[in-house]
Amino acid sequence: MARRMFKRARGGALVASLYVQEVELLVMTARDMVAIVEEPPDGEVRDRLYPRAYLDPTEEKAQGEYDALVHDDLVQARRTALEVVVAGLEAAEPNRRGLVEVTLSPDEEMQWLTAVNDARLVIGTALGVTEDTDTDFEPGDPRFEYGVLYAWLTQVHFELVTLLLDEIGEDGTDDPVLDAPGGPVDPELPGKAPGDPPGSAPDAEPGRDDG
Amino acid sequence: MTSPDIQEITIPDTVEELLGKDDVRPDVPWVVLVWNDPVNTFAYVIFVFQKLFGYSRAKASKLTNQVHFEGKAVVASGTREKCEADVSRLHAYGLWATMQKDD
Repeated sequence: MARRMFKRARGGALVASLYVQEVELLVMTARDMVAIVEEPPDGEVRDRLYPRAYLDPTEEKAQGEYDALVHDDLVQARRTALEVVVAGLEAAEPNRRGLVEVTLSPDEEMQWLTAVNDARLVIGTALGVTEDTDTDFEPGDPRFEYGVLYAWLTQVHFELVTLLLDEIGEDGTDDPVLDAPGGPVDPELPGKAPGDPPGSAPDAEPGRDDG
Repeated sequence: MTSPDIQEITIPDTVEELLGKDDVRPDVPWVVLVWNDPVNTFAYVIFVFQKLFGYSRAKASKLTNQVHFEGKAVVASGTREKCEADVSRLHAYGLWATMQKDD
C-alpha cells in the first residue's frame, strides 16, 4: 500500500510520514528558507513573499503604516513555521519501515503548510515558473536540482492541501444571502444546525489569527 | 380636479430599485483583491478562501477561477482596517493580495 505523507491519527492529530532522504531534503530546504524569509533578495522573490498592500502610489503613507504594523510579524510567523518543521523532523527517529513520523498539533499543521507553501513560492518564483511551463529541466541545466526540489515540494503540498480541503468541506459559514446567487440558501442544509443564525459565524471561524 | 403634473416623477420604493437589482455591493469603501500568480495551486487558493473567510466551496471555487482566468478577483470588502487585516492574512498564506478604494 502506498505511503500517505499525511494522515489523521485516531485522536485527530495530523501525522506526517517521510522517508529519511525526504527528511534531509525538507530540513535542508527549511534551513535555507530561514535566511530568505528574513532577508529576501530584492526583486520578484521579495515581492511575492511580502507584496505591497496598496498598489496606489498615493497611498505611500498607508503602505508605510501597513509595513510597520505587519512586516515583522509576517517574518516571525514564517521563520517560526520553518523552525517548527526542522525541530519536529530532527526530534523524530525513523521506524522499521524507514519512515520518519511526526505528529503535529493543530498549530503545527498550519505551520507545515506555511513552510511548504513559502518554499514553493520562493523556489517557483526564482525558477521563473509560469502556468505554461513545467520544471523538468535537463540534467546539466543549472535549474535542474531546484526543479526536482520544486516538483517534490509540490507533491508534499498537494497531499497536505488535499487532506485539509477535504476536511474543511463544502459548506461556508459566511452570510448565505450574499453567498448564493439566487438569494438565501435553505437553512436546513445538512451540516448546518437549524438554529444557526446566518452570517453570525465569521468571528467564530477558526482562522489563523495568530499569523 | 387639476393638479401639478407629478406623474412623470417615479420615486424608487426600495434601495434595490434605486441601485438596480443586480447591485449587491455592501455600502463600504474598500475592497480586497487577489491577483493571479503561476505558483499557488487552485486547491490551495480555494482552501485559503474557505479557511479565512468562511466561504462555501462553491463560492471559493468561483473566486479562484476568477483569479485564474480573469487575472484578479475581489474577495472581501469592508473598512480600511478590516481590509488591511484581510490582506495581511492573505499575505501570510502567500497569496498576492492588495486593497483599494471601491470606485
